[in-house]
Amino acid sequence: MNSTPLSPAGRALLDRRAFLRHSGMGLGGIALTALLADQGLLAAAPERTPIRPEVRSEAPFAPRPPHFRPRAKRVVMIFCSGACSQLDTWDYKPELIRRHGQPMPGADGLITFQGAQGNLTKSPYEFRPRGRCGKMTSDLLPQLGAQVDQMCFIHSMTARSNTHGPGENQMSTGFTLDGFPSMGSWASYALGSESQNLPAFVAIPDPRGGPQMGPNNWSSGFLPAVFQGTPFNATRPIPNLATPAAIAGATDRAGRDFLRFLNDEHLARHPGDDRLMARVASYELAARMQLAAAEAGDLAGESPATRALYGVDDPNATKAGFARNCLLARRLLERGVRFVQLFNGAYAMGEGVGNWDGHKTLQKQYDTHGQILDQPAAALLRDLAGRGLLEDTLVVWTTEFGRMPTFQKDASGRDHNPKGFTVWLAGAGVKAPFSYGATDEFGYAAATDIATVYDFHATILHLLGLNHQRLTFYHNGTERRLTDVHGEVLTGVLA
Amino acid sequence: MAPPRFWTASSARPLWFGWLPALALWPFCALAGEPVAAPAPAPDAHYWSLQAPRRTPPPAVQQTAWCRNPVDQFVLAELEQAGLSPTPEADRATLLRRVTFDLTGLPPTPAEIANFRLDHSAGAYEKVVDRLLASPRYGERWARHWLDVVRFAESHGFEMNQPRNTAWPYRDYVIRAFNEDLPYDRFVFEQLAGDTVGVDEATGFLVAGPWDQVKSPDEQLTKQQRADELHDMVATAGTAFLGLTVGCARCHDHKFDPLSQRDYYSLQAVFTGVNHGERTWRAADETRRVADLAAVRAELATLDPRLARFEPPARVPAPADTNAVPRRPAVTARRNTDRFAPVTTHRVRFTITASSGGEPGLDELEIFTAGEHPTNAALAGAGAKLTVSGTLPGYAIHQAAHLNDGRYGNEWSWISADAGRGWVQVEFPAPTTIDRVVWSRDRSGGFADRVTTGYRIETATADEQWVTVADAADRLPYRTPAAPGGGYSAAGRGPAAAAELAELLARRARLEQRAAELAVTRKVYSGQFAPPATAHLLYRGDPLQPREAVTPAGPARVTPEFQLPDSASDAERRAGFARWLTDPRNPLPARVIVNRLWHYHFGQGLVGTPSDFGAMGGRPSHPALLDWLATELPAAGWRLNPIQRLLVLSATYRQGGDGRPDAEAKDAGNRLLWRFAPQRLEAEELRDAILATSGKLDLRMGGPGFDVFQPNDNYVRVYSPKETFGPDEWRRMIYQFKPRMQQDGVFGAFDCPDGAQIAPQRSSSITALQALNLLNSGFLLQQAGFFAERLEQEAGAGRPAQIERAFALAFGRHPTAHETAAALELVSQAGLPALCRALFNANEFVFVF
Repeated sequence: MNSTPLSPAGRALLDRRAFLRHSGMGLGGIALTALLADQGLLAAAPERTPIRPEVRSEAPFAPRPPHFRPRAKRVVMIFCSGACSQLDTWDYKPELIRRHGQPMPGADGLITFQGAQGNLTKSPYEFRPRGRCGKMTSDLLPQLGAQVDQMCFIHSMTARSNTHGPGENQMSTGFTLDGFPSMGSWASYALGSESQNLPAFVAIPDPRGGPQMGPNNWSSGFLPAVFQGTPFNATRPIPNLATPAAIAGATDRAGRDFLRFLNDEHLARHPGDDRLMARVASYELAARMQLAAAEAGDLAGESPATRALYGVDDPNATKAGFARNCLLARRLLERGVRFVQLFNGAYAMGEGVGNWDGHKTLQKQYDTHGQILDQPAAALLRDLAGRGLLEDTLVVWTTEFGRMPTFQKDASGRDHNPKGFTVWLAGAGVKAPFSYGATDEFGYAAATDIATVYDFHATILHLLGLNHQRLTFYHNGTERRLTDVHGEVLTGVLA
Repeated sequence: MAPPRFWTASSARPLWFGWLPALALWPFCALAGEPVAAPAPAPDAHYWSLQAPRRTPPPAVQQTAWCRNPVDQFVLAELEQAGLSPTPEADRATLLRRVTFDLTGLPPTPAEIANFRLDHSAGAYEKVVDRLLASPRYGERWARHWLDVVRFAESHGFEMNQPRNTAWPYRDYVIRAFNEDLPYDRFVFEQLAGDTVGVDEATGFLVAGPWDQVKSPDEQLTKQQRADELHDMVATAGTAFLGLTVGCARCHDHKFDPLSQRDYYSLQAVFTGVNHGERTWRAADETRRVADLAAVRAELATLDPRLARFEPPARVPAPADTNAVPRRPAVTARRNTDRFAPVTTHRVRFTITASSGGEPGLDELEIFTAGEHPTNAALAGAGAKLTVSGTLPGYAIHQAAHLNDGRYGNEWSWISADAGRGWVQVEFPAPTTIDRVVWSRDRSGGFADRVTTGYRIETATADEQWVTVADAADRLPYRTPAAPGGGYSAAGRGPAAAAELAELLARRARLEQRAAELAVTRKVYSGQFAPPATAHLLYRGDPLQPREAVTPAGPARVTPEFQLPDSASDAERRAGFARWLTDPRNPLPARVIVNRLWHYHFGQGLVGTPSDFGAMGGRPSHPALLDWLATELPAAGWRLNPIQRLLVLSATYRQGGDGRPDAEAKDAGNRLLWRFAPQRLEAEELRDAILATSGKLDLRMGGPGFDVFQPNDNYVRVYSPKETFGPDEWRRMIYQFKPRMQQDGVFGAFDCPDGAQIAPQRSSSITALQALNLLNSGFLLQQAGFFAERLEQEAGAGRPAQIERAFALAFGRHPTAHETAAALELVSQAGLPALCRALFNANEFVFVF
C-alpha cells in the first residue's frame, strides 16, 4: 500500500475531501496548510505547520515549489570521509604554531576517541594568505585555497559524535543513528528535480570505494524509495542501466512493446488505476534515463582544456578517478539534478589509508589525499563559476567532524574531535569571501558563533527555499525533520 | 489444521451472540473519513487506546445476505451509513491469487488454480485457506512481517557493519512460531524472556537492532553508545507490543501521548541487564555437542605436526622459475607454516615487509623444536624473551606479550605500530634446534584484515649474523587459492609417504567437516544477560546528566500497574514486563496485534499506523470492530490463525479490487473498505514469485541464510552484490542474509526495509530503477532463461502451447486471442526468453488484485 506521509489526522481530512485522487502521496502545501489551520487541526502556530509536497506517483521527480524564493536551485556536497582535519587545511591558528610541542592547557588526562593525548602539534603544512581577501589557508590544498574569495567558511562547526559511523550519519541525515532520510532525499522529496530523465539525487562514491557509512549516507530512510540517492560514479554506472549486450536492440524493443501491450490490456481490465499507470510511466522514464544517464556519464565530449583543468588524465589513477567524478558532478548539475553528494575518501583500505582519518601518520596520508582532492575539486568550483552555474548552485564542502590540535600519545597524527571544525559553502546565496565563527586559540573547540550540524542543515535547506521546521514527514509517532527538533538558519553566512 | 473452536458449526453458540455491554463512548473516536476534531492533542489517560477494549455485538445491517461473518457486519454497517455498497466478490482465480500471496507470499500453481476452479463444494474456499495456513510457506511469509516490525537484520550497522552470523536462529524461531500458531502471549513472553523457559533464540528480539562495534576509551562516547543500545530496545518493545512511541519520551515528556520521561526510563530499567552479544545456544543436545566438538578439535590438533612434515620447505632464495617448481601456498589469516632445515640458534627474527592493509597484526608466533616431539620454544612460559618494533597504541587487546602467550584470537594479539611493516624478535634462554615457525593473524578465524603478506624469518648465527631461513618470495601471491592438496607434497618421498599424506588429508577433511557441523549452532546472537545496572532519568536524554534513579515500571497511565523493585533480577524484569504486556487488562497488545493482522491482510490497518496507537497515530476507522477482534483473540487462546481465518473468509476480504467512481468520490482512501485494495508485491514476494515461476525456487527451510554479496573481510565491511547467481541463492528471500544499509541489488529498490529503523508499514513506491532492475539485471535475465527452458520442457516445442503455459504460470490464466497473437510475434522475432522477461515485468505479475 501507499505510505502515508501525511499525518493520519490530516489524511483523514484529505480523504474525505477526496483531494487525493492520485496516490495518497501528497497535496499542495499551501492549500493543506490553510485547510488544516482553518480546521484548527494543528496545535502549533501556522508558521510551524508542515508544508507537504504534492508528489504525483507517475511523475515523482516533477519540480515542486519551494516554501519561499530560493537562492540555490541545486546542491553539490563534497564530503571528505574520515574526518578531514581543520588544523591542516582551513583553520589557521598562530598560537598552535607558537606552542608547538607543549601540552595543551586543560587537556591533562583528556581521553578522546583513541585514548590519551600527546602535545600540541602545528600543522606540517605552511599557511599563507590567498586570494584577494588574504585568507590564510594551508599548502595542503593550494588550488582550492586559491579560490578562497568564493568561499564562506564556518569555523565553529560542532558535531554530536566523535565516531565515524554516527558522525557521518549526522552530517548526511541529521541523526547519529542509522536509518534516517539523507539531506538529498529530503531535498528531492520537497523539490523534485529539474531533470525528468535523471535521478533527482545522485551519490558519487570515491573511486577507492564507499564512505564509512556506505548507503546510509544516501538512504531515503522512511521516505518513499524513489527519493533514495542513486549511487554511481564515472567508472561504475547505475547498476542495470544498460540493456545487457546479450539482448539485441531489436529484441529489447520488441520485448518492451509487448510489455506495453500487456500493460495496456491489463489497464483496460482495471480502468483508472493510478498505480498501474504510474508503473507504465516508470518504464518510460527508465527508457529515457538509459539515454540521459549514459549521456551525462560520457565525458568524451569534454574539451581537452576542461579535462586538463580537472586532471582527468592525471597519472595518479585515484586522482584521475576523482577528477572524473567531479566532472560527472558538474554534468549532472548542468542537467538539472537537484542534489549531488560527491565523496572523497573510502574506508575499504583501513584507517587513514584511503580517507582523511589521520590518526597515526597524518602527514604521509594527507600528502596523498590532498593531491587527490585539491585540483579536481578546485576545478569543479572554477568550472561551475565559469559556466555561470555558481549563481544558483550551492557548493558545500564538509566532513563528519574535526581533529585534535594535539597529536595522539606516541603517534604522529590527530584523534577525532567533534568540538570544533571547519566546513565551507560557496555559490548561490552565500556571503563570500567570509569566515563565520571561530574556534579557540588552538583550534580545539568552537568558541564564537558556535554552529551545529542542525544549523548547517537548516541553512542549506533555507538556501533551497525550504523552511527546515516545515519540511516534515510523519513516521512512527513523530513529524520527522532533517533537523530533528533543533537548528537555526545561520543568517550570518547568507549574502 | 483443526478449525478454531469458536468458529465451528457445532452446537456451541458463537461467542459474539452473547449479551455484551452497550457501545462504549469513544472520546476522540472519529468516523472514518471525518476530520479529527482534536485541536491540541494532550497527554490524557482517557485516550481511546488506553481504555480497555469493549466488546459490542456486531451491528444490525440491511444487506444481511452479504455478510459471511461478524467482521462483515461491522464493515457493512459503516458502508451503509455512508451510503456505499460493497464491491461484488472477486472471481475465483483472482481470489485464489490474492489469498495465496497473502498467506504464503507465493503465487498459486496452475494445478491449485485448476483444483479450486473445479471444486464446487460449499467449503471450497475454506479448504484453500486451511491448506494455506497449514503450509510451511505461511510462516515464511508472515515471519517477514514481524521481522520488519522488530528491525531484524544480520549485521551490526553503523561504521563497521560486520555480519552477525549467528542471528539467524531468531528468524527461524519466528517462522516456526507462525507455523505452529504459537499463542501470541507466549510469543511475546519468549521474545522477552525465552532464556527463562529454554527458548534461547527467541530473545534475539532484544538485540535484533543496530549496535555500534566501534569502542573507545572515551567515557562520554561509551555512555552514549550504551544509552543508544537501550533506547533501541525500549523503543522497539514499546512500538512492537504496545503500539506506543515510547522512544519519543527519551529527552522530554511525550508531546502528544500520556508518556512521561520517567515512564521511558522506568521501561529502560527493564532492559539494563541486556547487552548485545552471543550466548551459548542451549539446544537439548548441547552438552554432548560441546564434548564431541572438543574431541574432534583435539584430534585435529594431533594431525598438525604430522602434516607439517609434508609442508614444502621454504626455499631461500626462491627458485628463479617459479612456474617449474610449485610455489608454497599463499599466506592466510588463519595459519601459516614455514618449514626449513633444522638450525641451532639462540635468536629468531620475524620481519614484516608488507600487509594486506594497515598495520599488520599477529595473534601468535610459534617456533617449534626439531625432532620427534616438537615443542613451541617461543612461549614466554618456556623462558623465551620477546621484543617488537612497536605496538599500535591505545588497545589493551593488542600487546607484544600476546605473541607468545599461547592464546589465539584477535583478543590476544599484537598489532604493529607501523602500516605495512614491523618486526618481532624472540630470544631463547639457550641455543635451540628449530625447524618450523607457525604464525597467524587470527587462528580463531574471526579477523582476516591486517594480514602479513610480505615477511622474512631469520635466525642468528653464533657470531650474531642474521641468516634468512624463510620468506614470502616462494609463496603464491596473497589471496591466490591453494593448489589441490592444500600445498602439501610428498613428492620424492616414496609411495608410503604419499599414502600417509593422502590418508592424513582425507582424515583432516572429515574432521574439519565434522567440526564445522558441530560448531555451527553453538552460539546464537540473542543477547547477554548481566545483573541490571540502576537506571537513571537522564536530563534531556544526556547520558552525562543523570538525575534520580528509577525502578522498572510500566507507563504510569497504562493499566494495570506494573512495578518491580530495584532488587529484581534481570530475568525477573523481562519476564515481569512480558507478563504485564499480556495481562488481559492491558488494553494495548491485543489491539495492536489484531490491527497488524488486518494491516497485512488488507494493506491498511483499521488503525493506519500499526506501531503508533498514540495521538500522532491514526484513529481506528472501525473502533467497534477493532475491539471486537481484540477481545476475540484472548478468547481464541491468543492464537492468530483463528483471527486471520475470520479476516480472509470474510465477504469484506473477498470483494473485487477495482475502483468505482461513486465510492472513490466519497472515500478515495478506501477506509470504509468498499473494495479490496490492490497491492504491489513486496520485494520478497516478487523475488520468490519469479523463482517459483521459473521453476527454480528452492524450498529448503531454516538455518543460515544464503549470501548475495561477495565475500569480503574489510574492517569496515563492504557489501558488493554478486554478479551471478547459482542454486544456493534460489531459496526464499526471507533466508537471504540481510545486512543493514546495503540492499539486495535487484529487489532492494522495491522499498525493502534495511533494518536500521522499525518498519511497521512499508512504502510501496514505483520507480524507474525498479524497472531497470527488472529489465536488465543478471538475476532476472537468468530466471527468464530458466522460465523459457521450463516452458519448453513442460509444453513441448509448439509455440502456442508454450505461450499458454507461460500465461498459466505467470498470471494464472489463459492468454486472450490478442495476447496469443502478440506473444507469437514476439517469440518468433526475439525468442522465448524475451517473452518470459516481459511477463516478469508486467503489471499483472507485479500487482495483486
